[in-house]
Amino acid sequence: MKRKIVTTAALLVIASQSTFAEHKGIKLPHMEFPMAKGEGMYATKGMCNMCHSWGYTINQGKQSKAFWRKKVRKMIDVFHAPIKDEDVEVAVTYLFAHYGNGKEE
Amino acid sequence: MQRREFFKTTAILAGSAALTNVDAAEQVEITQPIDNRPVADIAFPQKQPLITHSDRPPLLETPRKVFAHPITPNDLFFVRWHMPLIPTYINPHAFEITIDGLVNNPLRLSIDDLKKRFEAVEITAVMQCGGNSRSAFHPTAGGIQWGVGAMGCAKWKGARLKDILAAAGLKPGAAWLTLDGAEKPVYNQTDDFKRALEIDRITDDMIVAYEMNGEALPYLNGFPVRLILPGIYADSWMKMLRRITVTAKEPHLHFMEHAYRIPDNDCECELPDKLYPKTKPIEKMNVKSLIGFPENGARIRKDTEMIVRGVAFDGGDGIARVDISTDGGATWQEATLDDGKAGRYAFRAFRYAFTPTQMGEIRIMARATNTKGETQPFAHEVKWNRGGYKFNGIDEVRVEVIT
Repeated sequence: MKRKIVTTAALLVIASQSTFAEHKGIKLPHMEFPMAKGEGMYATKGMCNMCHSWGYTINQGKQSKAFWRKKVRKMIDVFHAPIKDEDVEVAVTYLFAHYGNGKEE
Repeated sequence: MQRREFFKTTAILAGSAALTNVDAAEQVEITQPIDNRPVADIAFPQKQPLITHSDRPPLLETPRKVFAHPITPNDLFFVRWHMPLIPTYINPHAFEITIDGLVNNPLRLSIDDLKKRFEAVEITAVMQCGGNSRSAFHPTAGGIQWGVGAMGCAKWKGARLKDILAAAGLKPGAAWLTLDGAEKPVYNQTDDFKRALEIDRITDDMIVAYEMNGEALPYLNGFPVRLILPGIYADSWMKMLRRITVTAKEPHLHFMEHAYRIPDNDCECELPDKLYPKTKPIEKMNVKSLIGFPENGARIRKDTEMIVRGVAFDGGDGIARVDISTDGGATWQEATLDDGKAGRYAFRAFRYAFTPTQMGEIRIMARATNTKGETQPFAHEVKWNRGGYKFNGIDEVRVEVIT
């Protein structure tokens, strides 16, 4: 009888510990995605990284100037990123210079 | 409002110019997707290191070799989120799903309620991002440049969506569901990632899953519950599902109206300078197969048996056969399929034993055909679309035969 109680108590402790483990949640790691060095790099990094990783940006592949302009505009118009109108071309110029396909359109 | 009108006008103008010459595809090239990207040196929570496209939000791709097997382990399963703020702590005892809108009894269901009040259903189903293999499209289609691994197949367990809706009691006229998960944008004004599902299209196979391969779902795959829509691309398989709202009218949602859409024409195709004005949701998956072994660049000894392994699937009609070519598509031999007991929505494993007798590079290809006779085109025959969706070109790996 006594042994049974001890075993039950031990099981309860184990059970509560495993439940506790499930409740810890997760911690997401930070990863640095290297940026091409050039004019506008830090400004562009600031604008993009307010919301998302640089990896998310460069995974669009090499694109036209019009594509990058449309993307930056979308971040402002659709996703409400607080990017100033006068800063748009800074990002577009940097993105096209280093992640462009050479085409304007 | 002004914006929407502007888009409408643009679409109509484009419509009159488009579609005169969809076959003139000189400027377009479809290749094999980017392959053999290395996995990251950092593992995300509850995951092995995967091909990491972004850390915020996490975008993780499964390496090719995992597809030598028909079940994708939870720690190797791909990850795709839309919004940068993902809950990193959820108390499964406090978590609730709200069912509201056009229902007689609005519900708040805990995970325990889901398990106890509803019949538990198990279904093995492929989950694939509509943009899987997008890096095959040239000119580059906008979006994550996935290689082959934005897909996986798991055994899901949960409660039928139909049963949950029945418990809530649909009111007359109920026709649409708005699905909302717990991910959040950085700015409050930004549209939440929500999806819509037409009630008429709900089948018995669609479940709200609380288990994945016999375990709780990993956080990054939607812990504690996600929607499972077998046969349909993953864009509406809402993760961390917390609210289902029933309406009579189709809801207007940014991510329904501007994302995961393809040209609404027979070829589902267009040209970069002649975009087709009318689009439709990607929805049902097309027939596809992938070689898990060997991988590109593998070296194999001459006169030594190797077993080509991989998986095939479609939108639920079922795979009828897989053919393998070891000469770059000139001749084909039928592979052996598994028993198919995992069901018509699961990966169907195939194997093909092969002994190379000549040295040098060989090109191994896999081509699946489903029960309706639908099959895969060569990659170069796949048609372009601006979103880079639904790539299902015949898979190819190049291996080197050595002495």
